[in-house]
Amino acid sequence: MTQTNGNFNPFDPTGMLKGMRDANMDAWAKMMVDMVNTDAYAESTGAMLDAWLTASGPFRKVMEDSMAKTLEQLNLPSRDDVTRIAERLTNIEMRLDDLDAKLDEALRPAHGGEN
Amino acid sequence: MSNAIPASDPAPQIPTFLELCAGWHKAAENIEKFNRLLTTDAKIAQTPKELIWTLNKAKLYRYIPVVPEEERKRVPLLMVFAIMNRPHVLDLRPGHSYAEYMLRHGYDLYLLDWGAPGPEDKNLTFDDYTLEYLPRVVRKLKHVSGADEFSLLGWCLGALISTMYSALRPDDGLKNLILLTAPLDFSDKTAGGFTRWTSNPAFNPDIIAEKFGNIPPEMIDSGAKMLKPIENYFGSYTMLWDNIEHPGTVEAWHAMNTWVRDIIPMAGATYRQLINDLYKENRLIEGTMQLRGELIDLKRLRANVLNVIADADHITPPCQSEGIMDLIGSEDKEIFRVRGGHIGIMAGRGAEKNTWPHIESWLAARSD
Repeated sequence: MTQTNGNFNPFDPTGMLKGMRDANMDAWAKMMVDMVNTDAYAESTGAMLDAWLTASGPFRKVMEDSMAKTLEQLNLPSRDDVTRIAERLTNIEMRLDDLDAKLDEALRPAHGGEN
Repeated sequence: MSNAIPASDPAPQIPTFLELCAGWHKAAENIEKFNRLLTTDAKIAQTPKELIWTLNKAKLYRYIPVVPEEERKRVPLLMVFAIMNRPHVLDLRPGHSYAEYMLRHGYDLYLLDWGAPGPEDKNLTFDDYTLEYLPRVVRKLKHVSGADEFSLLGWCLGALISTMYSALRPDDGLKNLILLTAPLDFSDKTAGGFTRWTSNPAFNPDIIAEKFGNIPPEMIDSGAKMLKPIENYFGSYTMLWDNIEHPGTVEAWHAMNTWVRDIIPMAGATYRQLINDLYKENRLIEGTMQLRGELIDLKRLRANVLNVIADADHITPPCQSEGIMDLIGSEDKEIFRVRGGHIGIMAGRGAEKNTWPHIESWLAARSD
């Protein structure tokens, strides 16, 4: 679906754009790479992110608090409750893995003896 | 009228009504195909494998061998991918899969998938990945394979974790270490966009991790894409449109795009550690990096090392991978430079002819 010459192709809806694109894409790409690699870009990105996170923090906190209260009144577990259970499950999994390792170790000589 | 068409410029052919209809029909079909490719997933990671171990979100798979046991390499190979992407890029599609390639060459092959961290994993650090998860994986691998020695292939942050593990646990049986585009040395603060951005005092990873818990995948993804914004946000799609009638190119693009779209978060504490301890303070190379109170001494890394570096890598510039070679204790070590980018060297069209054979032949010579 590409134009094979410089003529306008009525079947290719992106034909005109493609000509412009091919002429400019490399230059744009190089310019943008140079731009994002400047200290000014790094500083402005960092500052914007910092400002947004700081400004949105109080709203996020209000949302989280109200959600936690709602869940509590509905007798439903909060995200923190679920997180704590998941952490405990991971600890149990680790204990099981330790046991598995000990079992493997204990069975190794017996298995070797059979052979 | 004086504006006659020059003799060298043939008069444009006026299409018939039927040709016009057929052309527009084709264009409509291509637009529909383009949209489908953007919004659907290709079947990737299809090489048969069995799950042999899990812990939290991490899973260890063993690929089903395709070579008879007596012809297989003695030393099994464990592949460890980065923690902020799925590892499916190592097994992208049938006929173009590194896992498939290594199986054909007789390797007993294992894959560690770190999984996607949930809110309960926000405090996971490199300490946990390196000294809690990886040693358990190695124990299971050695038990299942029956081998005392193994090889480790780490890619991107997987290579960083593999390097730290290799230096901290040199007596675990690691024989060969293959590092792919490993971000290890951050001494050059002007090398690459990530280093520039994160080493800027205005960039505060602590507040990001504190507010989000885990780092949202969209943030990591957009950060990576902004390193080459035009290529990633436009070039990739225009390339697809230009080649929409070439099935091979379309299939490859669809598989890669499926992998690229499948983004996962990064544990907040790991992100903090990555930016503060590595990108900003370069602790691994400076010799001050500690995991669980253990100092990482790179001289203790004694395994054979193949360090694969992509010369056009914009995510891990070559200088971030090169510096380690003088610091490790290995006697058998080699740098292999490949023309290509961070992912392209292993998943691009040339990988099968260039990168994979070199890694395989290097490993084969050290796997019996």
